[in-house]
Amino acid sequence: MQQNKLKSRPKNLNLFTIRLPINAVVSILHRASGMALFLALPLILLALQYSVRSPESYATLVNLLDTWFFKLILIGLSWAFFHHFFSGIRHLMQDIHWMTSLQKARFSGRVVLWLVAFSVLIFALVIW
Amino acid sequence: MLIQLLTNKYPGMRLWLSQRLSAVMMAIYIVFLITLLIIQQPSNFESWHVFVSPIWFRLVTLVFFISLFIHAWLGVSDVFKDYIFNKTLRANLQIIVDTLLVVYLIWISFILWNI
Repeated sequence: MQQNKLKSRPKNLNLFTIRLPINAVVSILHRASGMALFLALPLILLALQYSVRSPESYATLVNLLDTWFFKLILIGLSWAFFHHFFSGIRHLMQDIHWMTSLQKARFSGRVVLWLVAFSVLIFALVIW
Repeated sequence: MLIQLLTNKYPGMRLWLSQRLSAVMMAIYIVFLITLLIIQQPSNFESWHVFVSPIWFRLVTLVFFISLFIHAWLGVSDVFKDYIFNKTLRANLQIIVDTLLVVYLIWISFILWNI
């Protein structure tokens, strides 16, 4: 009986009509960036291998990464890294009960997004 | 208290703590690596080779990647548990991820060994 009542309740899982609060945005991006980094692992390992194997493979890698296409990929990866890094540190802080009130969590969420934007910008300027 | 939490009574605690510990280890390594890169700025193959060659550097890098693979395993498993409801599909994807991570571990050991 109780079960049936729960099941008949209306539910809305349409992502286009749900407005996510900033804490949810930072959190879902933490997952998305984590998955992106996981999927990029073979590329990262391959790049590392090419960079240390021989002067020739090093030159091949540098020439490849010097194209605008791979620079865009690098910038995308840097976003995934910086977001996962900064929001991860925010999660660790919340684990030790620091800044866990709603207001402070919103503030730290904004700080994370600004830090990520700033870091990606610096990274883009350095590699371009 | 901590020991009690890590016993078989609360199996989730070990996973939770492993995820945090591996995260902290990776964060320390990354900050250390970026600082070292900014100081030394290796800009060609020779200086890059000198940068990565010391045995201690290769060892801490291996520890970093082991932490990364543990962290990735826990994270990806959580994502699968949350979004993939078909148990057979989830189990199969999990096997693929497990295999990939083991292959990556062998691969990175090979790379670091052969520097």
